[in-house]
Amino acid sequence: MSAKVTTGLDKQTLLELFRTMHVIRQCEEQLAKVHQRGLVHGACHTYVGEEAIATAVCAHLGQRDVVFSTHRGHGHALAKGVTPRQLIAELLGRSTGCSQGRGGSMHLFSPEVGMMGTSGIVGPCILQAAGAGYTFKLLQSDQVAVAFFGDGAVNNGAFHEGLNLASIWKLPVLFICENNQFATEVPFAYAAGNPRVGNRAEVYGMPGFELDGNDVLSIYETASDAVRRARSGQGPTLIECRTYRTRAHAEGMGDFTYRTREDVEKWKEKCPIARLKSRLLAEGRVSARELDAIVDEVSQQIAEAQQFAEASPWPDPATATRHIYASPQVPQRVVVKSAPAPAGTREITYMKATHEALAEEMAVNPRIFVMGEGIGKRGGNFNTTAGLYDLYGPVRLCDTPIAERGFVGMSCGAAMTGSRPVIDFMFADFVLDSVGEIVNQISKMQYMSSGRLTMPVLLRGCIGIGHSAATHHSGNYYPMYAHFPGLRVVVPSSPYDAKGLLKHALRSNDPVLFLEPRELLGTKGPVPAEDYEIPFGQAAVVREGTDATVVAVGRMVPVVVEAAQKLSAEGAAIEVIDPRTVAPLDIDTILASVSKTGRLLIVDECFAPFGLGAEISAQVADRGFDDLDAPIRRVNGLHTPTPYSPTLEAAVVPNLDDVLRGIRELLAE
Amino acid sequence: MAVEVVVPRLGWSMDEGTFGEWLKQDGEYVAQGQSLFVLEGEKSAQEIESFDAGILRIPPHGPRSGDLVKVGQVLAYLVAENETPPFALAGAAVTTPTVEPASPAKVSATPSEPAVSVPVTPATVASPAVQASPRARRKAAELGIDWTNLTGSGSTGRIRERDVLAAAQHPTATTGRGVVPASRKGGQPQPVTRLRKAIATRMLAGANETAPVTLTMPCDATNLVSLRQQFRTMRRDAEDVVPDYNDLIIKLTAAVLERHPLLAARWGEQEITLPSDWHIAMAVDTEGGLLAPVIRHVDRMSLRQLATETRRLAHAARAGTLPEGDLQGGVFTITNLGMFGVTAFTPVINLPQASILGVGAIVREPAVSEDKIVIRDRVTLSLTFDHRVVDGAPAARFLAELRLAIEQPGPWLMS
Repeated sequence: MSAKVTTGLDKQTLLELFRTMHVIRQCEEQLAKVHQRGLVHGACHTYVGEEAIATAVCAHLGQRDVVFSTHRGHGHALAKGVTPRQLIAELLGRSTGCSQGRGGSMHLFSPEVGMMGTSGIVGPCILQAAGAGYTFKLLQSDQVAVAFFGDGAVNNGAFHEGLNLASIWKLPVLFICENNQFATEVPFAYAAGNPRVGNRAEVYGMPGFELDGNDVLSIYETASDAVRRARSGQGPTLIECRTYRTRAHAEGMGDFTYRTREDVEKWKEKCPIARLKSRLLAEGRVSARELDAIVDEVSQQIAEAQQFAEASPWPDPATATRHIYASPQVPQRVVVKSAPAPAGTREITYMKATHEALAEEMAVNPRIFVMGEGIGKRGGNFNTTAGLYDLYGPVRLCDTPIAERGFVGMSCGAAMTGSRPVIDFMFADFVLDSVGEIVNQISKMQYMSSGRLTMPVLLRGCIGIGHSAATHHSGNYYPMYAHFPGLRVVVPSSPYDAKGLLKHALRSNDPVLFLEPRELLGTKGPVPAEDYEIPFGQAAVVREGTDATVVAVGRMVPVVVEAAQKLSAEGAAIEVIDPRTVAPLDIDTILASVSKTGRLLIVDECFAPFGLGAEISAQVADRGFDDLDAPIRRVNGLHTPTPYSPTLEAAVVPNLDDVLRGIRELLAE
Repeated sequence: MAVEVVVPRLGWSMDEGTFGEWLKQDGEYVAQGQSLFVLEGEKSAQEIESFDAGILRIPPHGPRSGDLVKVGQVLAYLVAENETPPFALAGAAVTTPTVEPASPAKVSATPSEPAVSVPVTPATVASPAVQASPRARRKAAELGIDWTNLTGSGSTGRIRERDVLAAAQHPTATTGRGVVPASRKGGQPQPVTRLRKAIATRMLAGANETAPVTLTMPCDATNLVSLRQQFRTMRRDAEDVVPDYNDLIIKLTAAVLERHPLLAARWGEQEITLPSDWHIAMAVDTEGGLLAPVIRHVDRMSLRQLATETRRLAHAARAGTLPEGDLQGGVFTITNLGMFGVTAFTPVINLPQASILGVGAIVREPAVSEDKIVIRDRVTLSLTFDHRVVDGAPAARFLAELRLAIEQPGPWLMS
């Protein structure tokens, strides 16, 4: 496969390949050594034995090309341009590390050189590389994205969804499978019905290759073709590189419960660095002295890097919660705070209001694109994108296969590389298949990269019970998302709020779950025609009162307002507060209200346990204890899956009578 | 949850009083601020205001007129619509707060031994620690109120902020210590209400546009007190209205005024108009301020009619439902500050009337009778008159005759 190669390469390139492999090897050996000394605080997965792959592929990449990697990613980082200083310092937990001490071995970020992160989770890097490829396609750039992953990833759904999506959209991506034959210690031969990886490419309609992963020149040649195809719009390539790691899965772990010493020794003899060296010497293109000089030079570099790392400062503990969210964005337009729309303002539906927000922002920001099922020509199940396909075409209005994990995982990589994906998942229930991508990847990227990446991912869809939608089309889920740092969770209850909040979401740099109560989509309300946005974390005092505070979100807001009107006739003045964003939660407005009324009821269609009401209650009981004249009460939907039959369905949602009773009982407390 | 209607403490030393009458029927809705029943304390009968709203439910063995009731005793309940009052629930009873402490034996009586000789209601056994909401505790601390002495209106008897505020505004209803109500905190401007403005104008005119002179006259009220006691003792039933001191003094004053009409005349630059009807105004202290509703034709009324009418007027004045007509046409005003312990004062003339009578507290004190020191009930009258209309001597003669009427009331009540 690779016999002829060296003749086609200049000497400088050959020496660079040799040098890069040696940097990786010596750096890994140094890390193994200091791990044993206890200087590496967490896991340390070395790349020893596999150096040829990262070296050969990354040799074709420029700084603007991007790499997404795995838990065994030191080699990818080094080959992509992260320095040994930055790598060792990171594993030693220092502020000079490539992730400034937030990542360690499995979370190496250096977006400055196109190293978009290694990951502790197997699979997502495939989707993220595809997402980066989508950005390059959207922005008509000739950049290339590469996913490195092990054999353990190819039996995971992310592999299937990612390769298929990259194929149908002809994305500029290289999928590099480093088949080292063990997923930790489970043999690939056991785990795969089809023991080959490269030939799976045919299934997805893309070129596939099966290479000797220890032959740097062979990989170099194949990767060269694949990168050229990618840059010229011919789509993705799958390359399987069969290799072997000759150290344990992680430093300090036992190695011979699942493989033998003999096997390991046999593979050590196939060392990719030794192979290149012997070939270069055999062909007489370089002298042993030249190669030895490189080895010595690298040794000095690694030793110096070690000294640098050990001398580097620790990160300041006071910065532990920095970079969870993006810094305030630069291009802020005028923010009109939640002033009520003046009388005479035109009235439009909730659905129309969000459509306007999206259409207006797409018109001024070419980095925004929408992905979802049926959001292209069809215009969306809820008309969320009606008419936009004709304006902006199939790349910005991208219909997807039913592959939520796939396209949500892609949105992560897309945002990391500079576009602004809007994921339209119709029903919030559908997106649960991709929750790992949301809470493990999208929400953490800003933090793990120490704020060097921004994640403007907008995830929108419908929530709520009604019209016998039954249990897979009626969930609410916002408390779940609000639990995680790094996400904004928005639940608008009126057309005015929906437009203002969606505008803000489309201009902000944080990932946003934009959850639209389906039962409210047809409701009308005043929405000014002029541009405005509503910042996150500002509750609306929907109705003022002095006798009790009722907090409600989404669908429950109009129900509570109706109840408050009824009670007003009975002489009770109820203050109604809509937080509008569950995360961030405007607890100050709630506290101010409770300080006035002394009574608090939280009305929430979603489940009570560990929910919005529980959170508000805890915070008010803590900070507003002395304001309370009565116990805090909640009215929630029943803690059950949503039933279908209208009589059953009605029984699980709080209605006007439930709310009235809840308020009256609270007033009597 | 049901709100208990309890006997309030009307004076510092009051332990018990006499139940007068219900001003609301069983099953009738009571709004906050409305008078609920009449309670006679040591010196006078008072209409007791309800601090809560609800439907009045009087237990079958509720108090009858003339019954002695203890401070804190539960008389009835205010309940929500369709709510069952506690006395209708099995085992519950109207309890008095002065139950004997349950003996250890009673407390340890287990549910499996229901035949305890002394029936013990849940309320007396439980005697839970007094609970107050955090907000109520903070408010009590701000106002200097000992909340542990308050009665809670919360569903579990919890003391709520409103209970503390009520205690602050009506210190006699609790053991509060004369506190400043929250609404009148220093530095906070209070708006001048329409009523306040009207009072200010009338009082200023009464003081500036007349030639006021005040005479005071001590009287022996022993017979008056005795007379009133006779009415109380001989009350026929709960419907029977007992005249209070005000009623008696209004009636006596009207009778004496007929003989001294100049005191009830109206000043004019050209002529002085003598009264044709004996309409007497009485000063009523309301939350909004002073009102002086007018009792018409006092001379033609029986005492019973008079007592009924003064109840109605006072009630309407406090409820803010007094028709404008009830405030007009008076020829003479009587004002009483005796319930506060005031003995003599200088009332301001209620123009266009010519005089006003202030009634002080009835005080038991030593007096000389036939060269012996005896204990008598004494009351001081304070008459302010307009010297433009009437001179000092005729005014003093009126006052002297009124003293006679108070000291020997019987013959004056014949008409």
